[in-house]
Amino acid sequence: MKTIASMLAGATALSLALPALAQDDAELSLDGKRIGIAVVGTQHFWDREAFNGASSRVEELGGEVMAVDGGRDNQVHADNHDILLNAGVDAVISILGDGAVEPKFAAMREAGIPVFTVDHPSEHSVNNTTSDNYYMGTTIGRLTADALEGEGRIALFNAFENSLRICAIRTQLWKYVLQDYPNIEILEPELAEAYANAPEDARRQTLDLLSQYPEGELDAIHVGCWDQPAIGVVQALEETGRDDDVLVTALDGGPDTLEIMAEEGSPFVANVAQQPNLIGQISAENVARYFADEELLPQTYVDVVPVDGREGAVEAYEELGYGTLN
Amino acid sequence: MSDARIAPPSFGARALGSAPLILFAAMLVYIGLNAPNFLSLFTLELILVQSLPVVIVCSGLSLVVMTGGDDVVSGGIDLSIPATAVLCAGIVAQWLSGDGGLGLATVMALLAALAVGLVNAALVTRIGVTPLLTTLSMFVAVVGINNVVTQSRRIGVDHPAILWLRDADVLGWPVSIPIALLVALALYHLAHRTRLGLHMQATGGSRDAAEISGLDTRKLQALSFVLAALAGFAASFFLLARGSGSSPGTEDNLLLEMVLATFLGAAFSPRRVVTLWGAVLGAILVAAISIGFKSMGVDVFWTGLIKGSLILIVVAFGSVAQRGR
Repeated sequence: MKTIASMLAGATALSLALPALAQDDAELSLDGKRIGIAVVGTQHFWDREAFNGASSRVEELGGEVMAVDGGRDNQVHADNHDILLNAGVDAVISILGDGAVEPKFAAMREAGIPVFTVDHPSEHSVNNTTSDNYYMGTTIGRLTADALEGEGRIALFNAFENSLRICAIRTQLWKYVLQDYPNIEILEPELAEAYANAPEDARRQTLDLLSQYPEGELDAIHVGCWDQPAIGVVQALEETGRDDDVLVTALDGGPDTLEIMAEEGSPFVANVAQQPNLIGQISAENVARYFADEELLPQTYVDVVPVDGREGAVEAYEELGYGTLN
Repeated sequence: MSDARIAPPSFGARALGSAPLILFAAMLVYIGLNAPNFLSLFTLELILVQSLPVVIVCSGLSLVVMTGGDDVVSGGIDLSIPATAVLCAGIVAQWLSGDGGLGLATVMALLAALAVGLVNAALVTRIGVTPLLTTLSMFVAVVGINNVVTQSRRIGVDHPAILWLRDADVLGWPVSIPIALLVALALYHLAHRTRLGLHMQATGGSRDAAEISGLDTRKLQALSFVLAALAGFAASFFLLARGSGSSPGTEDNLLLEMVLATFLGAAFSPRRVVTLWGAVLGAILVAAISIGFKSMGVDVFWTGLIKGSLILIVVAFGSVAQRGR
């Protein structure tokens, strides 16, 4: 409960953090600064967009970008920080990553290079720019419960709760909400999705799961931290004709998954969309604020968009600037 | 019986065989001139530290290639070494996370590596499955076992011995560098300075001739797979130290770099064959190029293409050079 209480305290901090975003950024500048941007990978929409947002904003503010890509290998991502340290960049924006990056952040701090993280809270980071994960977790919890009408058995993909703080927040708050629905059962053991080739891995695991739980014994599948595995989950449900009786919920809401949600009769019924490009941009602006001696809070939260059902997906797709869906 | 003698490689074959090396050297010069701070001791340290797991797995792979022959399909190849390294790292991390001791964790990881090596050896030398197919399947199986062991989760490790391997230095250089060097030197001594190593090389050079000489080539090839698995075991500690724990998915990149470095290393050999020291130098060269491109700020969306192209060039020139022998 202490963990949950601290999460809710963080949610309260959101209201304190948002004013920082409202500041006039017309005078912000990174002129003459070389900013290292380390991204864990660029294969997934979220990662790529956060990277693109940070890179373009650094350049718009007059800075020079030195970018390194971990190729979705956390180890390579961590090692890439050494290269930025060696290059003597003025600051680093580090996008995602697991605990392997912490010693690298410490080394940077020791060398006087400020580190700004994206979706990775760290004691070595000046500021972490992230979605409101507390809101994401509780919202998807409510949407899941509503979609199930308060009862059913749900399988959970949850590989990253112990290694990524943002995933812990999202998943634990999802579970917190479901505690108020005694007729919803979360199946054990939880499933562990893969980091690389997530959709295909989830597809195979879902096929195994469906053979374990015949029709009527499984009502939903939730992916606790993101939604790339949900693509494979939906594929498996459609392959086996189970898309009528098993619902899917997940988090992130990129254009690819919103398009799946918007299909007629899609089992993918709830999501919470993030704004990764904006997150990257705001992180870059925070670097500029730091160099302008503005005070920064440890965390900057960026708004998210709840996506409820097919209609919600169509609306969110347009609202987030991805185009229009019929 | 043919009386044909083995002719020395032609000038053209030598030039073609050296082409990848010349290309890499030219790239290094270009990087040195264009990447900020590239020509520094800190960069050298970075290159060495980041290449250590690759150096160890390359050493293991080179033993298998030297014993089985350098035909990638029908000769000696062991693609399962990176997966073995990641499995051993996962076992140690999982055991340590449950407050188990490092000694027992090490023994369990060692047994797992031995099991992988012995199964590979049995499948190749007893059943007759090709090494490529055997070890590719083993790679998939071992990654699956690791996923079961770790539940596909990252497991942080803060055991003092692992942190020591990560952080300690000797004469200002990370202690992991001389330790990895000792492992590579031990394998080099075995491969190039012992009777057993010469027998393994003789097997890879010409299996028929080795058998006529009375060597038990099946046993020697089996031994090479076991030694390769043990190299994977040794590499696991460098993986754990480098990553402060075990992270899922590390094996893919390690596999790519191992194959690239080992076959690139053949360009260092006068006869353009895989050697242990060539593989080690190849691993360091690959790390240098990789760090160099990143230091130059090469667009991240291009790096995959560049790496893939380099592998194609190395493999293609190797094949052309072999035809010209």
